[in-house]
Amino acid sequence: MALKYAYHPGNVAHSSAPEVADTMPPAARSLGIELIPLDGATSCGAGIIRQANDILQVTLNARTMALAESMSLDIITPCAATAGNLHEDLIRLRNDPLLLAKTNDVLRRTTGLTLEGTVSVHHLLHVMVDEIGLDKVEANVRNPMRSRIAGYYGPNMQQEGACGDDDVYDPNYFEQLIEALGGTPVEWESRTQSVGVPGLFSEEPTVLRQAAAVISDAKSEGADIIVSACTLSHAVLDVYQGKASRATGISTNLPVIHLTELLSFAFGHHNSRLAQLRTRMAVIGD
Amino acid sequence: MTIFSVYIDDGCITCDACEEAAPDVFEVSDDTCFIKPTVRIDGGFDRNMDQSGLKPEIISAMSDNILDAAEACPVDVIMVVEGEPSESVEPEEAPEPETLEAVPEGAAVEDIEVGEGIEQILTVGDRSLNILFGSQSGNSEDLSAKLAKQAKGYGLEGTVHDMDGFDFNSLSGKKRVLIVCSTWGEGEMPDNAEELWQFASSDAAARLDGVHFSICALGDTSYEFYCESGKDWDRRLEQLGATRLVDRVDCDVDYDSPAAAWALEALPTLAAVDGTGKFREDMVEPIKAHISGDGSRGAEGEDGFTLPTVLADSIQAEITIFRYDPVAACTGKDTWMCALPGHLSVLEALRTLKDSQDGSLTFRDGACDDPNTAISVNGRLVMPGLSRLDSVAPTRDGAVRIRIEPLPGFDVVRDLVIDPWSLERKRESSKPWMVAATREGASTPQGPIGTMDPAAASHLHSVTDYQSQALLHASSDAVPHANGYLGPAVLVSAWARRSDPRISPLRRSEIDELIGSSNGIKAETDLAPIRRQASNAQAISDSLLEAKNATLTRDAYNGRHGKHVWWYTWTIKSSGRVNDTVIYRQVLGPAGLLGNLFSGVTARMVFGFTRTGGNMFNGMLGMVAPPAGIGKMPQQFNSSVENHHEVVAIFNELDGRF
Repeated sequence: MALKYAYHPGNVAHSSAPEVADTMPPAARSLGIELIPLDGATSCGAGIIRQANDILQVTLNARTMALAESMSLDIITPCAATAGNLHEDLIRLRNDPLLLAKTNDVLRRTTGLTLEGTVSVHHLLHVMVDEIGLDKVEANVRNPMRSRIAGYYGPNMQQEGACGDDDVYDPNYFEQLIEALGGTPVEWESRTQSVGVPGLFSEEPTVLRQAAAVISDAKSEGADIIVSACTLSHAVLDVYQGKASRATGISTNLPVIHLTELLSFAFGHHNSRLAQLRTRMAVIGD
Repeated sequence: MTIFSVYIDDGCITCDACEEAAPDVFEVSDDTCFIKPTVRIDGGFDRNMDQSGLKPEIISAMSDNILDAAEACPVDVIMVVEGEPSESVEPEEAPEPETLEAVPEGAAVEDIEVGEGIEQILTVGDRSLNILFGSQSGNSEDLSAKLAKQAKGYGLEGTVHDMDGFDFNSLSGKKRVLIVCSTWGEGEMPDNAEELWQFASSDAAARLDGVHFSICALGDTSYEFYCESGKDWDRRLEQLGATRLVDRVDCDVDYDSPAAAWALEALPTLAAVDGTGKFREDMVEPIKAHISGDGSRGAEGEDGFTLPTVLADSIQAEITIFRYDPVAACTGKDTWMCALPGHLSVLEALRTLKDSQDGSLTFRDGACDDPNTAISVNGRLVMPGLSRLDSVAPTRDGAVRIRIEPLPGFDVVRDLVIDPWSLERKRESSKPWMVAATREGASTPQGPIGTMDPAAASHLHSVTDYQSQALLHASSDAVPHANGYLGPAVLVSAWARRSDPRISPLRRSEIDELIGSSNGIKAETDLAPIRRQASNAQAISDSLLEAKNATLTRDAYNGRHGKHVWWYTWTIKSSGRVNDTVIYRQVLGPAGLLGNLFSGVTARMVFGFTRTGGNMFNGMLGMVAPPAGIGKMPQQFNSSVENHHEVVAIFNELDGRF
């Protein structure tokens, strides 16, 4: 029986990361996940709206979660930032009855919805390991990855209670998944380090150094590619890697793809894209 | 009314009223009031609970003062005993042996042997301890008073006696005696001890068989006859048949420490002299353990009071430790495979490795909660003395793999030792001290003091309640990469100061300037890592968020930091989704976009389809429209989320600025 989730695509799948929008549905099909679009869901705020108005971000996320509750579904997302921010606000609301009452008051007047707090938020990675099982994931593999892969978690979903049964500080769900997909997981320290996405536009020199340090760590451990579980961090790791290299003098040329792309390629979808990626890994380098 | 005696009952509040009324009779100590030895027939220095009579000359001269003091006592604990001195002196001078007869020796011994030991030995029979002081400057007297207080903890009733006027022969009926005596001049007795010493040295001195004693001698090593008086007493008491239970201690000018160590030995040993006067050597160690609490047992049973199990089975641990040799300027890692008890702390494991494997392994050692010991274990920033080996890292395939590294964001001195000065300099530059505004104080029994709303005080405490400055500083992933950034530890402390209602307006504005500077909160690129590492994560990250919000508001959301937050939020209101294009254009402006053109960012955006196999048309949009969104290439205009009007309504309800 298919697992059914309300699907939140994250903050950038609709715009600068269309490859996530392309690869998530076929990957989910292979995994036996039925995605019910959360068409009314807003951005999770990425911790940025909070800097202007904390209650505003909490209320917007409460609306998104109330929508899922009204569908009697839990939320799944391929973005670590969305998983982390929604989970954080959900826990705050569950633990603070006054905040929940105040938020529900606003929601009731503006949307007619209320949040009970029964919903839960899952990242795709945790659903695969905790709910589906890696043996079933492995059974779906059509194109074993056969590369040294560095899985990037980012800091947002590596919070107590937000990462399933995985260890908060020393996770290995991604490494287990990579093995199941036929790849060789790279052990690297920087996999939960922030690449400073919220400061990309305002503190670019620092962010470039952070990104260069993360990519460089993966390279030095022998990675052929980085796979990101965070669609926001991917932007920095991929688009800004050349600039990071020039700014720091550190070699950063390394392919960076999304988790959904890795799954889709391994499950036999988008074979031409996988060929393109393999060529890039083998010939171009980045 | 004729006064015979005066004593202090329980409940003294040390208000000094009695001492003011009769300073020659009463002396108020830290926790009660004593009747001075100079007015008492027995020369004792305590509350006089035995109701020892007052000297006749004192009664005639100071009766009125004593009665005034009793009347002035607000808690009525000064108890005046009426009677005729001539009648009452006799029982006071009656020899102790009468008391001994009251407790038949054989019966008491049998009781104690039959009984379960410590509790009984500490409570049954004569538990008196006589402390004699010979003092010139008052040090011996003070020390004797302290010993009398300590003696209570050992089940002894300590009575302090001034040697001046003390009846030496009365010691013959005693069981436990301590002498604290200083040396004066060239090995001479202090003035108040001279007469007693002359008597004790004479043939008239009684035998002291059955007396157990120890001597604390005070002196000065710069004199030839160091502690001579104490040595004299020690020798003489032994000659008279007394039993030395603990060797004499000779104390130099700084006598506190050796005297305290001697007391820790002498008091439990004398306490092991039971109520019949028999020394129970086998009980000395149990008494020490009993008093220190080592022998106590916690509650047991499944009633919620059971102490947690401290011991754990051995675990197979692979411990990898970062090494740095500053002389050779090289780094590396050493790995040990070992079986260690799971309950061992990481700090204890490090000590074990250093002691048994590699003496050059360097780390900061200290108490388990020493903030300077903080290190990184498997990516978790911890206090190693508070982290158990079996819980600091996940067990996988039956083994624990532990990777130990120095805290990130600091220069490394050697191996796991960091140089904290970069943080200390930043703290110093933030002027972390309080500069309070002049304000009205509240009148309290302790005098006028400033008060604070309890909720505000509680909030300020919670904000600054973290284990280690260095640990909090290292929790930011931006710190190692942002030169000059003050870091979360300095900023959260500054914000707590700034939020303190007592702070002066000038200092508040200085802190605002500090926090809003380029090295302040704006330099933090991501609060998420702090939230997952800090020990008091919620309160700290909330405070940093407040600081950021206050800074951006003060800047009216101008500048790149403000514009980024403003336009991100604005695009959510306008469609429910992030519009990369708008944010890029608004925050970076033409110069920033041009910079990206030459830095290769734009090229990677435009040719994103070559990496992802995406839509070439979307990518090439970037060629015709000015480089905008993050990548490959975004829709220039977002479609709105379903029921977008609800999003707008929430914004209108909560924040009219957008």
